[in-house]
Amino acid sequence: MIEIAIASGKGGVGKSTVSATIALAAARAGKSVVAVDADADAPNLHLIFGVREWEWERPYVESKVAEIVQSLCTRCGRCREVCPYEAIHVDEEGRFVVNQVVCEGCMTCSLVCPERGAIRLLSAESGRLRRTTTSYGFPLISARLNPGRPNSGKLVTEEKSMAKELASQDSLIVVDSAAGIGCQVVSSLAGANAAILVAEPTPASFAALRRVFKLTRHFMQPAGLVINKYDVNPEMTEEMEAFAREKNIDLLGRIPYDDAIPRSMAMMRPVVEAFPDSPASKALLRVAERVLEIVEDWQSWFTRFRPREPEPYRPIIIRPEGLQGV
Amino acid sequence: MIVSVSGGKGGTGKSTVAVNLAALLSRDFRLVLADLDVENPNDHVLLGAELAGERPVNIMLPFVNYQKCIKCGACGRVCDTGAMLISPDGLPYVIPRLCSGCRSCYFACPVDAIVEGKRTIGYTYQSEIELGESKITLVTGSLREGEEHTPPVVLAARRRALSVEADLHLVDTSAGTSNSVAAAVDGSRLLIAVTEPTPLGLHDLDLILELAQTLGIEAWVVINRAGIGPEDDHVRLVRERGAEIVARIPYSRRVVESYIRGVPIVLHSPDSPEAEEFRRLAEMVREVVS
Repeated sequence: MIEIAIASGKGGVGKSTVSATIALAAARAGKSVVAVDADADAPNLHLIFGVREWEWERPYVESKVAEIVQSLCTRCGRCREVCPYEAIHVDEEGRFVVNQVVCEGCMTCSLVCPERGAIRLLSAESGRLRRTTTSYGFPLISARLNPGRPNSGKLVTEEKSMAKELASQDSLIVVDSAAGIGCQVVSSLAGANAAILVAEPTPASFAALRRVFKLTRHFMQPAGLVINKYDVNPEMTEEMEAFAREKNIDLLGRIPYDDAIPRSMAMMRPVVEAFPDSPASKALLRVAERVLEIVEDWQSWFTRFRPREPEPYRPIIIRPEGLQGV
Repeated sequence: MIVSVSGGKGGTGKSTVAVNLAALLSRDFRLVLADLDVENPNDHVLLGAELAGERPVNIMLPFVNYQKCIKCGACGRVCDTGAMLISPDGLPYVIPRLCSGCRSCYFACPVDAIVEGKRTIGYTYQSEIELGESKITLVTGSLREGEEHTPPVVLAARRRALSVEADLHLVDTSAGTSNSVAAAVDGSRLLIAVTEPTPLGLHDLDLILELAQTLGIEAWVVINRAGIGPEDDHVRLVRERGAEIVARIPYSRRVVESYIRGVPIVLHSPDSPEAEEFRRLAEMVREVVS
């Protein structure tokens, strides 16, 4: 079983397009594949595959929110002072109220509240976990976070364990991660055998690529790079490729700008299905074929591109003064 | 007054809209642009500017004074992230990576054995930027690579931005609709949701409009890359959500070019139709602010 995570740091540069192509190409080649949409905050992979209904769906309850019981509240304001998320407001009538789309449910407020029972903890549905079989014959696992809930690495971890249950020993798991470098991305990369980084040749995407690349090094992962819309800025494409060579990132391919991609999205079909002869489709399929070769001959690729030195994450910790023996 | 730019899906053009509005509105107002996309801040890149005035964002990290600890386990019971591990002998141990800095353990401890240390999870910056004939203050939040918890960095950058006196605080958020986005846009007079005419843009637009509704914020919709796909469903959704489509920025190589050069298109190609559309949008925002 090989698990690859597709990440980019920046949003909208082509992660889902690349993920969909790899999953589809693997399925076409007769390989067992499970696709995971790990962007619960803005899940889109199912739209590329034209999924309209889920075979299986259940609520995912993880988060908690605080609620102030107005009849018991003395309006002392302690809760508002200690809330780390600035989620407690005073309304027009002077009542202390919790903004439940900001609250993370840490309940620090309830610990400082002098009135017994004035702040209670409610369970909030974080989002939904769902699964279906795409019309291309392989399973897709997806999640959707409810607006205003905390981003959840645990939700991604849960999705990945569902994928492993469906997978067999020689399956490929394709994890389409969220934008950014936060908990969802960390959980997407954690445990993956390799990372495929997608970037476009713009300064913003290059900056994001450097940030997400650093995470792959924390996890000691080999990485490959796909440059999307490479022709909008050939000079920066060269710079990015030089960066990849310097960091021992495998160059997996360049995709040209092609309006076949947005047109295929409108049709809710993968571009390689909708416009197989378009330049972008051909380039995407070459990338996918290369990835499948890597998966088949995993050891030799891993040996070549694995990081040489561990670069573990080191938190910056400021110790309290005068505390001995801790 | 706070006006936010958000949109749900990543890469729809939130930052492009934010920097162009900043360039135009700073001609009339003292303007602070707050880049609260802390996982991937790039307004400074789009403005061709350097980050300056770095300050760490520290959250509380508990340390245990074992001379005082009575092994009651209260700290472990209130910790909701699993960062306070109680060993079989009853002593608590802190796992820094899991700690969200909420201080629950500190308040729960009956003998004051929890001592406050700190962990740096990100940074804020403040840069003064000249844009043509006007200037703006850019405040940026940035999460450290390897850290996972964004809200404290978003809030620190927001506080820093709001501490700078201005007529207009323009907030640029991350993708998505999590509580980090909610914290960024909270208290806004207006939320400008930037989307693209694809089913993906539509799906995430629905989520951000739902969030705006929950927070009671008036929402305007900007369709970026107009022309790359049908917009009928967007029109229907926006109407259902009680919002309004206020601008359509056409897709063009000029937008890409200005993006690459680090110059807002209203300064890079002021005569282009895209710049004209941004001026129209800025005029509408100006009326709200005035």
